[in-house]
Amino acid sequence: MNIREIADKLITLSQKEGADQAETYVVLAKTSSVYIDDNIPKIADVKMELGINVKFITGKKIGFTSSTLLNETPEEVVIRAKKLASLSEEDTKFVSLPEPQQVSGNRERFYDKKTANVSSDEILEKAMLVVDSTISNGITVPNGVLRASSVDYQVKNTQGIDTGSMGTQVFGYFTAKSDKDGAVGEGVQRCWSRELGNIDFAKMGTKLQAQALAVLNAEPFKAKWEDITAVLAPSEGCEMLGNLVGSACSAENVNNRSSPWTDRVGDKVAHESLTVYDNGQSENGLLSGIVDAEGFPTQKTLLIDHGVLQSYYYDSYNGNQVGLESTGNGIRRDSRDAHGSFNNLPSCASSTLEVSAGKYSVEELIGQIKKGVYIEHFAWPQVDAISGSFSNEIRNARLIENGELTTQIKYALLVGNLYESIQKEILYAKDLQVNSKRFMPTIAFSGIELVGQE
Amino acid sequence: MVHLLLEAMSDAIEEISSKDVSFADIRRESQSGNTIIVVNGNLREFKNVSKAGAVARVLVGECWGQASTTLPLSKELYEELLEEALKRARASAKYSRKNIDLSNIPSHVDKVFQKVKEDPTTVPYEEKIGIALELDKGQKIDDRVVNTNAYLMDQKRDYALVNTVGSRLEWDEIRTLSYIMSVAKEGEQTQFNVEIAGGSGGYEIIRKINPEEFSKSCASGAVELLKADKPPSGELTVILDGSMSGLIAHEVCGHASEADEVVKERSFLTGLVGKQIGTDIVTMVDDGTLKQWGGIPFDSEGTPTSRTAIIENGILQGYMHTLETSVMMGVSPTGNGRAQDYNRRIFARMTNTFFDKGDWKDEEIIEDTKDGLYVIKMTSGMEDVVGGGVQASALKGYIIKNGERTKLVRSMTLAGKVLEILKTVDAVGNTLEFDGGTCGKGEEDFIPVSSGGPHLRAKIVVGGG
Repeated sequence: MNIREIADKLITLSQKEGADQAETYVVLAKTSSVYIDDNIPKIADVKMELGINVKFITGKKIGFTSSTLLNETPEEVVIRAKKLASLSEEDTKFVSLPEPQQVSGNRERFYDKKTANVSSDEILEKAMLVVDSTISNGITVPNGVLRASSVDYQVKNTQGIDTGSMGTQVFGYFTAKSDKDGAVGEGVQRCWSRELGNIDFAKMGTKLQAQALAVLNAEPFKAKWEDITAVLAPSEGCEMLGNLVGSACSAENVNNRSSPWTDRVGDKVAHESLTVYDNGQSENGLLSGIVDAEGFPTQKTLLIDHGVLQSYYYDSYNGNQVGLESTGNGIRRDSRDAHGSFNNLPSCASSTLEVSAGKYSVEELIGQIKKGVYIEHFAWPQVDAISGSFSNEIRNARLIENGELTTQIKYALLVGNLYESIQKEILYAKDLQVNSKRFMPTIAFSGIELVGQE
Repeated sequence: MVHLLLEAMSDAIEEISSKDVSFADIRRESQSGNTIIVVNGNLREFKNVSKAGAVARVLVGECWGQASTTLPLSKELYEELLEEALKRARASAKYSRKNIDLSNIPSHVDKVFQKVKEDPTTVPYEEKIGIALELDKGQKIDDRVVNTNAYLMDQKRDYALVNTVGSRLEWDEIRTLSYIMSVAKEGEQTQFNVEIAGGSGGYEIIRKINPEEFSKSCASGAVELLKADKPPSGELTVILDGSMSGLIAHEVCGHASEADEVVKERSFLTGLVGKQIGTDIVTMVDDGTLKQWGGIPFDSEGTPTSRTAIIENGILQGYMHTLETSVMMGVSPTGNGRAQDYNRRIFARMTNTFFDKGDWKDEEIIEDTKDGLYVIKMTSGMEDVVGGGVQASALKGYIIKNGERTKLVRSMTLAGKVLEILKTVDAVGNTLEFDGGTCGKGEEDFIPVSSGGPHLRAKIVVGGG
C-alpha cells in the first residue's frame, strides 16, 4: 500500500469504529547520510521509515496513537486510538478538525528530486569535499555529518481533508580542530538547504579552517563591557531571535497565557527596525510544504511590522479557540531530522521565520559599531523565551572597537535580555542564510553586557 | 514471536561470509510510550506512541555501513539490510587507514527484563489522567500563576540483538516521569519554575510524589522569582547544588570522557589518565547500573552496563567506551555504546554521570562561605570537548553573605575552564541528587541519561541575564 491508500484505510476504519471525527497523518521518510570521524567517513547509512498516526475523536474526547506498522496492523492501531478516546477526559477547548480549503500548487513544489535520490557515493564525496578543504597542517576534522532526506506525507480527516506535500532537506554539521604549540581551537560550520546542489561544500571547508585557526589566537577576556552592541552571525542571532519571536507569537503560548505578548496585538513590542514573517511557503524553508501537518494550506503571515505586533500564528486547535482560521502552522516535522514526525501531534509552531536583508555587508555593519563584539559561535545560542534573559558562553568572537575588529577573545559570557534589546534599533547585514527554521542575516543587538574572567 | 525474530536475525548474521567484514550486528527495537499533558486545567494531549524498526551494521576496515527499516521483518529483509550496510561500509573503507578487529570481544547470551514494582501499563489511564489533572490544579496557588502544566510519561523499549561474535540478547528498559511547570507574571516580569520526578522504573515513581507539595513547590518557586534580582557577574565563590554539579559533570567532564573523542584526540582529557586534574576530594563516575533515568542493562552494542570511574580523588582514571574504542585503547568495553534509536548511529555516550559525594553537610558548606553565590537548579548546558569550557545555566540562586542565604537572584550561566574550576573545589557535600533528561551529542542523537552530584564549592565565572 502507498501512503494515500494507508490514509484512506485508517479513516475508513475509524469511521467504521464510530469516530465522530478522525485524522490520520502518514509519512514516508528516507535518508542517506555520512558521519565523518577523524578525517574519514566513519559511518555511512541509509534509512527508510514509514510511520502513521490516528487521532480518534468522540465528542470532545481525543485519543492519539502512532505506529510504524512493523508488528501491528492498521486495524489494531485504530482500535487502540478508539480505546484511548473512550478513556480520555474531554478536551474542553477542542472545537473541530479543520475543514478542507483550496490548496494551490503541486505537492512536489518543495521537493528536489536530485536531493531525494542522491547516491551514497555522491553524499560521501560531498562530505569528503568539506574535509579535504579544511584539513591542513595542524587542522583536522574530528566530527561531521552530512545527510539528505526526503519526506512524503498525506493528511486525511473525516471533514474532507485529503491532501499532502513532499519535501527535501539537507543538513550538515562539521567541526575542525586546530592545534599549534599546545594551544587548541575549534571551528564549527553547519549547512541547511532544501537542495544539496545549493551548498558550496569547498567554501564551507575553507571557512571551517579559517575559524579553527582564528580561535588559536584568542585571548582571555578579563573585563566587563556594559551597554555594548553584539553582532551575531546568522546561525547564532537567528536562533536567539527566532526562539524569542517564535515562542511569543505562538497562539498556543498566547492562549495558555505563557507568552509575554498575550493580548498585545496592535502594540509596539519592539523597535521599528524589527519586521518578522512566518512563511510556510518559503523557498528556502526546510519545513515548507503546500499544506501543513493538518492538511491546511500554508501561507506567509506578518507577525511583527516595524515593531508592532500584527498577528500570532495558529494551528486549527488554537485558531478555533479564538474564532480564527489556522495560518497553516500545525507542525509535526523537524528541520534537522526527517524521521519520527508521525509520533507527534501537530503543534502550533513556526514554519520558517524570515526577516529581510539589510543593505550592509557584515564588514560595513561592523564599521558602524563603536564598541561591541562580533560572535560567530556560542556554546549554544539560547534565550529564555519567557523572561527574555540570556547568558551565553562565547566560543568564537572578536571585539569591535571604533568600527574595527580587534582582539579574538575567549572565556566570556554575552549577557542580556532580548525582550529589552529589541526595543533598541536592530541592524541587519545582507547575508541572508537559512539556519534550521529561520531565514535571517547577521543581526546586531545593543544594550548587552560582555562579561569576562575579571 | 520474539524468539522467532531472534532466530531470523541469527540466521541472517550467520550467513555473512565476506572476508573483508570484521564484525556485524543486527538490532531490533520497539518503543511504546504513554504521554498525558494537562495545560491550565485542560487535557491537552493524551497519546500512546509506538515505533519499531531494525538496523544492521557492518564493519570493514575502520568504517561502518548501516541500514535501517521499519518494514515487516524476515530473514530475507535482514539479509538485505546487511547487504546494504556492507555496500556502504565498503565504499567508505577506501579511506580506511587500519583494520579494527572486534572478533575477540566478549559475546553475551542473555535475556534481561526489568523488574518494576508497578508496571505502568497496568495502571488505568483514568488514574494517570487524574494524577496529571491534580498536579496541574495544585499549581494554581496565586493569581500571578498564569500558566500551569503537568506532564506524565511512561515508556518501554524492547531490544533484540545478534552479532557475529555470537551474542544473542533480549532486554527491555522501562522509564516513568512526571514534569510540571508553572509560569508566573506580574507587570512586565514573567518567570517560570519546574519540578521533575522520574527514573528507570515503574509507576511507583509517580506514587512517591505528594501531588499537593510537588505542585505547590513548583508554583511558589515561579512566584518567588518575580521578585528576584539580577545576579552578580564575574568570578565568584560558587556553591553548586547537586543539579548544577551534575550538569558540569555531564556536559564538561562527561562528554570529554567519551572515548570516541579521546581516540581521535579531540578531547581536552586526552592523555591525562593518571594525572591530577582536580583537588583530591573530586571523584566522578558513570554508572549505568543505577536505577536512575539513564540506567540500562546493555548498551546498543549488547555490552552489559557498568560502573566506570572517571575521576578518583582528583586523578583521571579512564574513559567511557564503545566496542571499537575499547579495542583501540586496549581496555574492556564499559557498555557506553548507545544510539537514540534504530535510525541513529552508535557512539560513546553517558548513562548516569555524577560527582560522587564527600564529607560536608550541605548547610555546613553555606555556613562556611563568607561571600558567594549559591546556584540552584540547572536549566541547560553545552559541552566543549575541545576546550573544556563550561556553559551551565541555572534557574536561580541566593547571594551568600557571612554564611547565610540573603537575596534571591534569577537566571545565570556559569563559565570558565573546567580544569581550572576542579582545582578550586574545596568542599563536597554528602548527599547525592540526580536529574533525568535527554542528552544530545554534537547537537543531536538524543538519549535518556541522568546527571547528578552533591553540593560542591568552587571558584567559577558567573554571568546573569
